[in-house]
Amino acid sequence: MPEPPILQMRGIRKAFPGVQALDGVDFEVQPGEVMALVGENGAGKSTLIKILAGVQPADEGEILIKGQPVKITTPRSAQLLGVAVIYQELNLAESVTIAENIFVGREYRNRLGFVDNKAMNTHAKEWMEALHIYIDPRLQVRQLGIARKQMVEIAKSLSLDASIIVMDEPTSSLPTATSKPTELNEVEVLLDLILKLRDRGKAVIYISHRMGEIFRISDRITILRDGKLVGVRKTSETNQDEIIAMMVGRKLEDLYGQRSQTPIGEKVLEVRGLNQAKRLYDINFDVRAGEILGVAGLVGAGRTEMARAVFCADKRDSGEFLINNKPAAIRNPQDAIQAGLGYLPEDRKLQGLFLKMAIRLNITAASLGEISRSGFLQFNKERELGTKFVNQLNIRTPSLEQRARNLSGGNQQKVVLAKWMAVRPKVLFLDEPTRGVDVGAKMEIYSLMHEMASQGMAVVMISSELPEILGMSDRILVLREGRVMGVIPRQGATEEQIMALATGVKAEVY
Amino acid sequence: MNESPSLSPKTTSEKASGVTSMNAFSRIFRAREAGIALVVIIIMFGLSIATPNFATADNLAIVARIIALNSIIAMGMTLVILLGGIDLSVGSVVALASVVLGYVLVRMGMPIWVSILAGLLTGVVVGLINGALVVKTGVAPFIITLGMMGLARGLALVITKGSTISGLPEAYLALGQGYWGLVPYPVIIMLVLAVVIHIMLSRTTFGRRIYFIGSNEDAAVLSGINVNRVKVLVFMICSTLAATEAVIETARMSTAQPASGVGYELTAIGAVIIGGASMSGGEGTILGTILGATLLGLITNGLILLGVSAYWQQVFSGAIIILAVALDTWRRRRSG
Repeated sequence: MPEPPILQMRGIRKAFPGVQALDGVDFEVQPGEVMALVGENGAGKSTLIKILAGVQPADEGEILIKGQPVKITTPRSAQLLGVAVIYQELNLAESVTIAENIFVGREYRNRLGFVDNKAMNTHAKEWMEALHIYIDPRLQVRQLGIARKQMVEIAKSLSLDASIIVMDEPTSSLPTATSKPTELNEVEVLLDLILKLRDRGKAVIYISHRMGEIFRISDRITILRDGKLVGVRKTSETNQDEIIAMMVGRKLEDLYGQRSQTPIGEKVLEVRGLNQAKRLYDINFDVRAGEILGVAGLVGAGRTEMARAVFCADKRDSGEFLINNKPAAIRNPQDAIQAGLGYLPEDRKLQGLFLKMAIRLNITAASLGEISRSGFLQFNKERELGTKFVNQLNIRTPSLEQRARNLSGGNQQKVVLAKWMAVRPKVLFLDEPTRGVDVGAKMEIYSLMHEMASQGMAVVMISSELPEILGMSDRILVLREGRVMGVIPRQGATEEQIMALATGVKAEVY
Repeated sequence: MNESPSLSPKTTSEKASGVTSMNAFSRIFRAREAGIALVVIIIMFGLSIATPNFATADNLAIVARIIALNSIIAMGMTLVILLGGIDLSVGSVVALASVVLGYVLVRMGMPIWVSILAGLLTGVVVGLINGALVVKTGVAPFIITLGMMGLARGLALVITKGSTISGLPEAYLALGQGYWGLVPYPVIIMLVLAVVIHIMLSRTTFGRRIYFIGSNEDAAVLSGINVNRVKVLVFMICSTLAATEAVIETARMSTAQPASGVGYELTAIGAVIIGGASMSGGEGTILGTILGATLLGLITNGLILLGVSAYWQQVFSGAIIILAVALDTWRRRRSG
């Protein structure tokens, strides 16, 4: 190595009661390098970063910055040593301007001691333009999308003269970057920005579950598993399968798994002429028993809107639904559930879970009729149902009484899935079923989907991840701007073909 | 990994405070309620020592009656707060139900049972209007019930032209003033209502739905819960309980006054919060609320016995409510 690593962490150990979160981990980054840090949830990534950021102390181990041993005891001391951490839950004040956020705690002042907004705006603009971010610094942060908020955080870290910038899952709440840039995609801009930081000699530590992004921007990848360092790979000399295999500790034959051979049956749901003002235009599709129908499209294509309209969570202007070839009168979600539909929403925390409540109550939330008699709850039945699904879905929890908020993302998603499986719907809509979920839980969810389909359920899977769409679907429905652009059979479908339909650009252009 | 070491003892107590624990034992001895119960016992002990007048049969009956009356309103408030809402109109509903009852009984000369029914019906109707407005307009319950607070009070004044209705028959007054052995009737009524509402909350699908809506309304809608229906019913129950209190209190006071019930919403909300409910909904129990009402009742009674002026009593009650909310917020923040 021509230069010494800007950051070295050696033999880091950290224990929580009952867990060795980090067990002698070594980690290093070079200046001008993007180092990806990967591992399943619970592998120790967050703990490692918290130690670097001064949020938690390590039990053992040393940290060297530019070859010098340092003590990081508080977030402030980390900041002074040039470490900036940009968390998934951003630390920006929503109601004040971008400039005020960038210079929070060190505002420019004029001679009278008042905050000098003009100077702040000018300097904020300079820092952002240095990164080719062109946003008006006078805008309130709440007016920005998540990607732009990240950019503001990055500009802030740059203005603090940080030399080590940690980004903790910056894109997890954003749609996937497409393989070809489109104007719409904020992730693209964010990834570009990270490369610019690298080119300015910054060391970037990038934590993500998204292999596509990791392989596009990282120079090296550090893989953790169960609190131990599994290895470091040069990105140019490895591939996704190797990294995932290292993360989960076993050979990955096929991430998406296989379905037992069951023939696809009759039409279970047919949607005809579904319209919703300014969102959905004349949507027609059907899905059959035992089939997984993938729904692809860019953000704003109307995928979630379509699912919500079919489930009658939102009003529709027109459109009829046939269930088992009979017209079904559905006016609200109760009717939809009654008619045999289920909808696992896109945002599990905001729309799927009762975070304050026990897992047992979450699992039975949509099937109260099943666990009650004349309005009175039957706790035995409820516990039986809860236990059954905790076991069947391999939900990792100390007890049924654990609050949903205390589970990891993957287990939370399995709880929401269990809620719907308990209803035994004929058609289950899954909206981004694996978003923000680690690889292990992803594989479990995929295999559950196969299981549901082979038992004759019709599954409609909305996903922003094209590999997932291609890996799981029997047919793929592509939406663009609220219209159905086509239905492609799985055989022979390619990412390019889907993107061509989703963007409205002919495949040959690429 | 989300659990840092200092929190692990907390999680065990949290586990026990799930909405519907299985056996009666764990239900009664949930950490939170046990804590308030302890404070209640300490205050009672302290008051018995500090003043000779506290632990007398007369005084205890007076305190118990006041606590019972406050609890009846606070139980309704618990349901609304569990939904994530609030009902500021309960005090005015007390006034309106009271004068409607008095008007029907004295001015119209109807039988007692018809008058009581008219009073209760007042609560049903006000609750229906509150609930329907909340559901149909989408305006925050705070605003709707603030409006109703003024509206119901105004109607009470209109009906009586601002005067007091007296001359209520003895047979009716027993409801507020009578005893069953040593126990005042209002306490018995409150206990019966408490058992019914507790069972409804913890053992029926309706109660479960209230918790679901308060915990996450969007998820409740998507889980096929008829959120609007539950909301309207809860506002109706809350107002009807306030009217129930009015029926008893009017009998206790021997008059129906358009000025009664002022500030009752504060006491009720205070009891609910002290009882451990979350203002954002989804957390709280009837037992906690009754303990909260007991705590507030004892403190007021103690201040009277200790000779503190009535003006200062309000200051204390207000301060205690703020303190309770602050402590609770702090506790929640710590437990994440």
